[in-house]
Amino acid sequence: MQDLLVMSQIAGRRCALHAHDVNSVIEIGTITPVPRAPDFISGITAMRSQALTVIDCRCALGFDPDRWSLDHRAIVVNVQGHSYALRVDSIEDITTGSSEPDQILGGFGPEWSRIATGMIETRDGPALLLNLAMLIEGSETFDAAA
Amino acid sequence: MDDLLTDFIAETREMLEASEGEIVAWEADPADRARLDTIFRFVHTVKGNCGFFDFPRLAGLSHAAEDALADCRAGRREPDSTLVSAVLAIIDRIALMVDAIETGEEYTEGGDDALIAALEPGAAPADNALGHGPASAMFEKFEDTQGTDDAEADSPTAKKPDNAIAAQRSIRLPVDLLDRVMSGVSDMVLARNDLAHRLRQAGTQPTIDGPFERLTTILADVRDAITRMRMQRIETLFSALPRLVRDLSADLGKQVMIDLEGGDVELDREMIETIRDPITHIIRNAIDHGMETPSDRLADGKREIGLMSIAARQSGNTISIVVSDDGRGIDTDRVADKAVSTGLIQPSQRDQMSREDILQLIFEPGFSTADEVSSVSGRGVGLDVVRQNLERVGGTIKVTSKLGVGTLFTLQIPLTLSIIAGLTVEVSKQRFTIPQSYVEEIVFSSSKSLDFTRVGETALVTFRGTRVPCLLLGEVLGLPAEDISEDEYRIVLLRLASGDLFALAVDGLHAHGDVVVKPLAPAIMKSGLYAGSTLLDDGQPVLLLDVTEVAERYGLVSDARNRMLKTYEGDVADVAEKNDLAMLFTDFAGRRSAIRLELVQRIETTPVSAIDLSAPTPRVVIDGAILPLVGLPGGPIPTEKVRLLRLTDGSCELLHAVRDLDDAVELVDKLKPASDDPLVEAVTLVDGQPVALIDGHELFARYGEVPEAASKPVCRLPDNDWARTILGPLVASAGYTIAKGADTVEDVAIWFDEEYEAAVASDMQFDIPVIRLRNVPHALDSSDTVYRYDREGLVDALRQARSAGGKN
Repeated sequence: MQDLLVMSQIAGRRCALHAHDVNSVIEIGTITPVPRAPDFISGITAMRSQALTVIDCRCALGFDPDRWSLDHRAIVVNVQGHSYALRVDSIEDITTGSSEPDQILGGFGPEWSRIATGMIETRDGPALLLNLAMLIEGSETFDAAA
Repeated sequence: MDDLLTDFIAETREMLEASEGEIVAWEADPADRARLDTIFRFVHTVKGNCGFFDFPRLAGLSHAAEDALADCRAGRREPDSTLVSAVLAIIDRIALMVDAIETGEEYTEGGDDALIAALEPGAAPADNALGHGPASAMFEKFEDTQGTDDAEADSPTAKKPDNAIAAQRSIRLPVDLLDRVMSGVSDMVLARNDLAHRLRQAGTQPTIDGPFERLTTILADVRDAITRMRMQRIETLFSALPRLVRDLSADLGKQVMIDLEGGDVELDREMIETIRDPITHIIRNAIDHGMETPSDRLADGKREIGLMSIAARQSGNTISIVVSDDGRGIDTDRVADKAVSTGLIQPSQRDQMSREDILQLIFEPGFSTADEVSSVSGRGVGLDVVRQNLERVGGTIKVTSKLGVGTLFTLQIPLTLSIIAGLTVEVSKQRFTIPQSYVEEIVFSSSKSLDFTRVGETALVTFRGTRVPCLLLGEVLGLPAEDISEDEYRIVLLRLASGDLFALAVDGLHAHGDVVVKPLAPAIMKSGLYAGSTLLDDGQPVLLLDVTEVAERYGLVSDARNRMLKTYEGDVADVAEKNDLAMLFTDFAGRRSAIRLELVQRIETTPVSAIDLSAPTPRVVIDGAILPLVGLPGGPIPTEKVRLLRLTDGSCELLHAVRDLDDAVELVDKLKPASDDPLVEAVTLVDGQPVALIDGHELFARYGEVPEAASKPVCRLPDNDWARTILGPLVASAGYTIAKGADTVEDVAIWFDEEYEAAVASDMQFDIPVIRLRNVPHALDSSDTVYRYDREGLVDALRQARSAGGKN
């Protein structure tokens, strides 16, 4: 498995995204909040003439975002024709995966199992490979609150 | 009919192109059943289409080919190379004839019979030069041999005409690619705006400004062209209609001709799909209910064949499509009866409704006048769905009809789905966009006409005499309330597609203009408040509010009955509003202003010296009344005399100082609510000049006072020096005029007690209150007298007398 992976820290854990899922990494400008939207949606922001939905991954997982630092950059991904900017603790590096995503016994914990494709070995050690479609749906508790 | 013909040619040519490969393959293997079927379908379609038009030769050729091929398909005949050649010759000739039809030329006479004869099973292959060879080459040869028989000279014209097909070249592209190009151009426009901003900051630089201007122009052109890429001629919608009309009228035993106009009008592809069903529905209705049978038409003195006409026109940003028929028209009485019987309207409402309004009832849900359900119009899905579908894309529909003459539907639809006019508003420091098509009017909440009140938790405003529910946008969105008082809201009145009106209170208004709507992520759409997002000039994204959803969430969409009721009240108020008059003047700040004429009582002139400037609000005594004065300049008054408008709201009065008085004018121009000055209700145009209309409500709320005795009661005093010099001033200061002369009718009288008793003793009648004065401080008996130096007692007695006198 020689896939390129974009590495980041989300809620204090190392996570990976397939590089071909990532459009770009941008500096986050002004975010227009969206009233009455679920909490994990920070708002919308402009990337050139495109409007991106800004998602706080920590919130989407069901964690309290204030416990971690916040990168001023965001990862831009495209899911089902809509563009999203993912906010994480920090964006680290691009690296190559050295294994197929794998499950481990006992799972990754309730928050993580929902959004994880599996564990992937990288040069820098193991990371959680994220399932984008699940990530942008946000955690169920927040959906209910919305 | 030209449109139809164009379609026929295009369709035939398309099929020819598509079947070219098949023809070649068939030639290689005449026994191939699949190829045979394809070619059979082609000649069959050509034959069918020819039936519509008067092309006997085309029909004859295709019919012959079809027969031969049908035999093969049925197994009555084995296809051989002779047959293949003969059929191919016919197909080639069809292609040539179609070219000729397109250019309007007459195709060379003759030759058809030989071609048809070649199809016969026994036709000798080689003899007639129908050798085995490439189809076209064979045809050329055939043409040469035949040409000698029929018309020697015309074999050149039989060839493909040179001047033919100046048709536009076209290619097919995936819509995705178009969208990408479009968004690329949008990015370029934004980058240009950014650059323009920076260039402005840097100051004028002729070497850069020139090329930049050119870039701007080019960009505008490209943008325009890109937008047009998504456009499609409405013809694609029209082309299916003749057939529909033909089939329907045949089914119903009616004769209807269709006339299509404006097929070259271009529309967003998606929009065309959206209006397809509504148009079809209207046509179905028209033919089913509107058109009479031929015999009925003849009896009415009309032509036997009914005429349906559909015309598309573009005007600005909208397309109007008019669907009209010359059928029996809509019987408004029946419509009204039906509406009453189904409970859509009350009988009392019916009398107030105009013909036009009754007609529009046919778009109400649950309305259908068809007494019998026919297979064509069906039941259940009615014009209400048509209207709903159109309104979903921001369109409207109206109907006019004359009994016995015909019916006319007018559809207005926006050019594209993605560009709309929007009004940007602000609440809690955040901006949102409202589609302009919903905005009825913008009003400042403090203006008198609005009367912002709360009933329970619901806020209400009064708009043209109707109470309208008012939503606070901040509350709707759950935003923290700004520190803003209720009369500082800007009220945007929104008219829903259903006709319901509601108000939206916002903190501020920004510019309005065309905005490009972009879709939102599903998670945001789920909140049900937004319809999309758009980018402002500065590149900031803003959310586009979904007005209908918001209204529905708050239950502001009424059912049909209430809706009708409301429109009526609204209309009445409209009529009453029409003749607003205002007094035009220039104030001391030099601003041209106007005040509603109803408020102006009269015009006064007062010397500057009469103005009392000691109090915070200056006062002037006019006709013995002390009135507050507004509108004075801050500094010294430049003139000796001041012209004053004496304003009244019925009980309160105040004066407005003016520098110059103009005339009374009718407020014909639109009132544009003003936001910067609370004392200004709106800004309007009078003779092309901007005029600030003073907010009378605010003015009286701030400065209005009940004047002190606008008309003073009269008091008659005893006739002596003491009364004149000592008592007189006291009575006058209490607000009385002293009666002079015997013929003045007094409201109250003051008598010395002894004189009063003497008068009573001599049977004098007093029909007015009398205050009796005594000379001693303490009353000797219980009689109702006042000591003549008891100032308080006297004033008290006078006040009582006045209130007693005020009753009559």
